[in-house]
Amino acid sequence: MNNNSKFSVEDLDLFYGDFQALKKINMEIQEKEITALIGPSGCGKSTFLKTLNRMNDLVEGVTIKGKISLDGKDIFKEMDAISLRTRVGMVFQQPNPFPMSIYDNVAYGPRIHGITKKSVLDEIVERSLRQAAIWDEVKDKLKKSALAISGGQQQRLCIARTLAIEPEVILMDEPTSALDPISTLKIEDLAVELKKDYTIIMVTHNMQQAARISDKTAFFLVGEVVEFDSTENIFNNPKDIRTEEYITGRFG
Amino acid sequence: MNKTSIKDSIAFKNREGNEKIFKYIFLSAALISVISVIAIIVFVFGKGIRPFFGDDAYSFTNFITGLRWAPSDNEFGIFYMIAGSLLSTLGAIVLGVPVGLLTAVYIAELAPKKIEAILRPAIELLAGIPSVIFGVFGLGIIVPIIKDISPQQSGQSMLAVILVLTMMILPTIISLSLSSIRAIPKSYKDASYGLGASKIQTIFKCILPAAKSGILAAVVLGIGRAIGETTAVMMVAGNNSGGIPLSIWDKTRPLTSNVAMEMGYASGQHQELLFSTGVVLFIFIMVINYVLIKITSKVGSEGEKR
Amino acid sequence: MTSNRSSRKIKDNIAKILIYIATSITILTLLVILGFVFYRGLPGINREFLTRMWDDKTTIVTVEKDINNLENKSLNYVPSLGIYIDLQDGNVVITGVEKKSPALNALNKKGEIYRIKKSDIIERVKKIDLREATSLDEAITAIEGEDTSLDLKIRRPGGGILPMVISTLLIIVITLVVALPIGVGAAIYLNEYARPGKVLRVIRFAIQNLAGIPSIIYGLFGMLFFVQFLKMQYSVLAGSLTLSIMLLPTIISTTEETLKEVPNSYRQGSYGLGATKIQTITRVILPSALPGILVAIILSIGRIVGESAALIWTAGTVAQVPRALFGSGAAAATLTTKMFWEIQEASNIDTATSIAVVLIVLVVLLNLFSKLITNKFLKRTGTGK
Repeated sequence: MNNNSKFSVEDLDLFYGDFQALKKINMEIQEKEITALIGPSGCGKSTFLKTLNRMNDLVEGVTIKGKISLDGKDIFKEMDAISLRTRVGMVFQQPNPFPMSIYDNVAYGPRIHGITKKSVLDEIVERSLRQAAIWDEVKDKLKKSALAISGGQQQRLCIARTLAIEPEVILMDEPTSALDPISTLKIEDLAVELKKDYTIIMVTHNMQQAARISDKTAFFLVGEVVEFDSTENIFNNPKDIRTEEYITGRFG
Repeated sequence: MNKTSIKDSIAFKNREGNEKIFKYIFLSAALISVISVIAIIVFVFGKGIRPFFGDDAYSFTNFITGLRWAPSDNEFGIFYMIAGSLLSTLGAIVLGVPVGLLTAVYIAELAPKKIEAILRPAIELLAGIPSVIFGVFGLGIIVPIIKDISPQQSGQSMLAVILVLTMMILPTIISLSLSSIRAIPKSYKDASYGLGASKIQTIFKCILPAAKSGILAAVVLGIGRAIGETTAVMMVAGNNSGGIPLSIWDKTRPLTSNVAMEMGYASGQHQELLFSTGVVLFIFIMVINYVLIKITSKVGSEGEKR
Repeated sequence: MTSNRSSRKIKDNIAKILIYIATSITILTLLVILGFVFYRGLPGINREFLTRMWDDKTTIVTVEKDINNLENKSLNYVPSLGIYIDLQDGNVVITGVEKKSPALNALNKKGEIYRIKKSDIIERVKKIDLREATSLDEAITAIEGEDTSLDLKIRRPGGGILPMVISTLLIIVITLVVALPIGVGAAIYLNEYARPGKVLRVIRFAIQNLAGIPSIIYGLFGMLFFVQFLKMQYSVLAGSLTLSIMLLPTIISTTEETLKEVPNSYRQGSYGLGATKIQTITRVILPSALPGILVAIILSIGRIVGESAALIWTAGTVAQVPRALFGSGAAAATLTTKMFWEIQEASNIDTATSIAVVLIVLVVLLNLFSKLITNKFLKRTGTGK
């Protein structure tokens, strides 16, 4: 086991009822790196991502076998889902700000964790919005509805909202698939910037995106990890023929 | 920058337990409906079946088949009331359904936007008018007119009941038919037009048959409203003390009126028999409810198929 | 072919005419009812009708006269009491009370202050009966005697609907306080917690049944259970609790509809930030569902305002401001039950239609209000997309 390992996944199986969605996944995810999860639709990469902060707990009929540890602690046995989620934040495919003001969106996490003091909240909101590179665009309209800003801004707001709970890991589930190219680039730059302080795990359909920003890449196929290596190796020197076919097929 | 950590303030204790408590609080709120239904049945039925048991029991057969209600003679027959309730409801459905349905057709298919914008709130207003006001209207306008043209002495009659009930079920019929007509996919209409059907033909040959479950639900709901209506009906029925109404000019005494008329002063077995009348009404309503639930669940599954 | 087409045209036209007739009947129904109610009821509506108590109220009071006041402002001015009086239909009516008038500090027999108001009628001064007074002088002479303190028999005329307005409001408040948390809680259970199965089926079946039960049955149940079994007597509480059960289906289904419309992404977003289920419900889901809950409240108020059969044998038909929530003195008529009683027992169509005018105005206002909320809500979700 690597010393810098953040997540350690051992023999993970996941079933939706009788259907096995993940098969014997083993993976070590490094701290303060970007790990990209790629693969065709329905290959299990999103399911895997959601298992890391136990969002699958909310889905009916899910059974999980195997072990996932965060900093050496079993996330199923030694942690409850709520405290896990405050350490492992999540950004979703569609920007999903709450129908409240920009300020209240960012302050939501701190508030549910018991922070009520205005000055502390102000500080967290500003810091998170700055980290998410959206402060300058919204600082004059913090009291305006979060639904009134553009999709790209909404997604950065959602990232700020996640940063406000000071997670150690940020899971991103195809965070740019609903965005235009310019907004996408902004999110990518932001991810690279955030890697200094956070461990990022990102599901993406976009090969170039994975190649551009990730340090490690895992290729998923029908519930299995076919190959997991440095991004460099996956894209330039894949060991498995299926990885190569998928990569080259996509690059055309 | 002096970073404030939110981790310090997170309380992990006992969270699972709290979540369970809230779940049970919400569950008990939901169960209050179940408890209420049971309590209503137990209390009303319990009181209503009592007069038919014990030493001074009143004959159930006489009660259910009797043609006269005369507390002073210790005579309590409600068959003519059952007939009165059913006949007035039938009359209201016969008049109210065509009028309501065609009004819904007009709003859904023919009305220009501007007229629709007037009609819809008008129908909502009609739906919101308290039943007592329909009763006063019946007593102040309908009953005197009937009195003028009726071969009988009184204007309070089954006809008056039917007319008042018709007015009262109109908004129910209209709004439910309207939403089921609106739920018909546009593709049905296009297909009908594509085969050379006129607008009216499309409405009657294609749209209404497709909306039939929803319209049926509207009719059943209308029946429920009509048979359960109390205060308005009581004001215009005339409340005869015996005899099945044989013509629309005859006085009548629906089940609901019987309960409402005498509940204020009745006591002992007389009062219990009023509850028995309520139980008979309740049984009719339960049958109607059951039919309605069957129809609406059918409508729901049809909707999914589409 | 041509004959076919023309017969089709004829059929179409007949159908169209029938549709127009039906729509006209619907609209005429509404117009005729409104016309009748306003024509008969409007003349009875005035400030007194809206602000006075229902029954006349007679009180014997003691007033300390202001014997230093010798001003003589006009013929109908009574200086020692600082009031103006007039003779109307053989009654000595107070037409004005000055700011410094001792009549404002009159004491009733219990020694409490009973403020004499404009339009009160003086029936007796000391032992002198003024009910058949023929001139104002008679009254003024009776009052302006030598004694410094004066016993007056004051009749405050009724004929107003104020007690029913107050009782109706009271019943609305109690009913909503009881039914809203239960109804919204049940809707939350159904939409956020319940898993398909037996429990859910039983609950749904119960709610559908409650929705179909006519109000007279609720009235009978309320009378047996709340009034008699729980010994609340005819009371606002018994009435409100009966209505609470009756309104549950409306509140539950309206709230559930809006909960269904709250996007799942809000829930996920909240869980993803480490929120618990209850935090997600109270901080994200309920605020988003607020407009629907407001509509449920308005619908409920409409039902309460119009209800008669469920209230007559639970809250009674006494035209008074209830002195307690349950037990003796707690009975109270709402506008609608009073209107019903006026016809049933007093055959007084004019007063009944005047109350009907008030009811219809209320219904119109409630409808407008609900439309306002729905439109605002639609606009908001519109920009959200």
